[in-house]
Amino acid sequence: MTDTIKKRIREFVLSNYLFTNDPSALHDDESFMKRGIIDSTGVLEVIQFLNDEFGVTVTDEEMGPENLDSVISLAGFIQSKDAKTKALSA
Amino acid sequence: MMSLVERLERNAVRAPDAEALVHNEERVCYGQLWRHVRATCVFLRRQSLPRQARVALLLHNSIPYVTAYYGALAAGGVVVPLNTGAKAIDITNWLAHCQAGWLFLDVTHPEAAAVQQWCEGRVKIIAVNGTAAGTFAWSQVPASNADNVTGFDVGDPDQLATILYTSGTTGRPKGVMLSHGNLAANIDSILAYLGLGTHDRVVSGLPFYYSYGNSVLHTHLAAGACVVMEDNLLYPHRVLARMQQERVTGLSGVASTYALLLSRIAFDQYDLRALRYLTQAGGHMPTTHVERLQQALPWVRLFVMYGQTEASARLSYVPPERLHEKLGSAGIAIPGVTLDIRDESGAALAPHQIGEIWARGANVMLGYWDDPAATRQTLVNGWLKTGDMAYRDAEGYLYIHGRRTDMLKSGAHRIHPHEIEAAIAELEGVHDVAVVGAPDEILGQVVKAYIVPSPGAQLDAMRVKAHCRDRLATYKLPKFIDFVAELPRTATGKVKKFMLETGIS
Repeated sequence: MTDTIKKRIREFVLSNYLFTNDPSALHDDESFMKRGIIDSTGVLEVIQFLNDEFGVTVTDEEMGPENLDSVISLAGFIQSKDAKTKALSA
Repeated sequence: MMSLVERLERNAVRAPDAEALVHNEERVCYGQLWRHVRATCVFLRRQSLPRQARVALLLHNSIPYVTAYYGALAAGGVVVPLNTGAKAIDITNWLAHCQAGWLFLDVTHPEAAAVQQWCEGRVKIIAVNGTAAGTFAWSQVPASNADNVTGFDVGDPDQLATILYTSGTTGRPKGVMLSHGNLAANIDSILAYLGLGTHDRVVSGLPFYYSYGNSVLHTHLAAGACVVMEDNLLYPHRVLARMQQERVTGLSGVASTYALLLSRIAFDQYDLRALRYLTQAGGHMPTTHVERLQQALPWVRLFVMYGQTEASARLSYVPPERLHEKLGSAGIAIPGVTLDIRDESGAALAPHQIGEIWARGANVMLGYWDDPAATRQTLVNGWLKTGDMAYRDAEGYLYIHGRRTDMLKSGAHRIHPHEIEAAIAELEGVHDVAVVGAPDEILGQVVKAYIVPSPGAQLDAMRVKAHCRDRLATYKLPKFIDFVAELPRTATGKVKKFMLETGIS
């Protein structure tokens, strides 16, 4: 599950911000901000991607680098949201 | 004239424990900052820094940036802040152009290794945020004992203080030369209309290597106020939380800063009672955004301003009490500046006639570094020809009507289309290319490239973007690429960019 999510996120970032299909161009723990991959409008695009691709809505409080600044943090965030949704509907 | 260094020293003596800078968890008061500045100065002098030697900074906004800046000035150097978003090819081009003797280098910068390699045998490096072989370590600098040292170089008014580069790789770099007197004069004007004091705390994410960020930093330090550095505005809610927590009195931004905040923030969810002023410059802000900011923060004074690097930053502002009736205006001349609207022959124009803005004042640059021809074109009989077109109303309020050049403005950045065109033209299979600005709700403009492929060429947008990413700063990357059969041209062969901008290709 995590690997599938990570793969999809990596594909999105590679094709939209690094313009390559080469997976080695992006490490899972690399900071988008420090590497200059994503700017302020890029963050809004990532949020839109999370919604379109995974049905995840990002609240104001969740809009921070701990959730959105790397492949790993995004994957972890999506899974935690998924777990919360399941817990609420159980 | 009171120079930057003198003002910092005065504030450090007057209120050594007052907070000067905040960056993430780091805080520094005026007394500490001044001690570190003196130590940096002493270090550079012990290394025999010649007077007026160029000291470049490749550092993000940070406490070391400010310390290095003032330390280099106090040592008699000329500070050259470099764009941290740039690629090594631009950075080394600037270093070569200004014949930099020293470089404060953030060794975690993605281009640091390439820059360091180029500097070997040419430029001495002080490594910040780590160490690197063959360099001096920043961590050793504050240890230089400067307690009993006096006689810092406070800077003569006509002496060069800083060079700010406004363009990159293609063609000759343009380095705006600002003197100690230029900076001091603009600071005095800005302090007069913003009314800054020791109680003020400003949040700014503007890069210090641009003239607006540079001006925000120095005006607030001159006033004895505190500058709270925000690394980025990627996460606007965090910025607002910071403003609330730090009881910030001011926020400085460009139009896209406010567009982003207005699109994401419910201001009434934060306690912003301490907030006193907002400043906006660096390109036109839509009047709807001005109105929405006024509605959301009715007790806050919003300063809409206009200027350019060649004027040390600031040329005009709209007094907040006139903002509502002068919507869309760039305001009146700031104290100490005279503005004129002139035709192509240099003759003054009457109100409501569109012409070029000419400016005069003690803030107008000395010229472009090592480029007397460009200087002669821009500085005429003591006047700065801004290249911006405008008219004035009967009360003298300016209304900007575009530029004579086709420069784009995206967020806080100025982008010269020819740099991107040159990069794209390198690609095999590109027959012709033109770059224009496409409208963007947040950034104002983004880069759009029109490409005419050579017959039979296999080009796709991804390949073009990947090529650009290798050569250009991230903010210069084309957001949109259109492949077209030909570019619209005038009879003399010039690309009709206005047709491309309006979508007629």
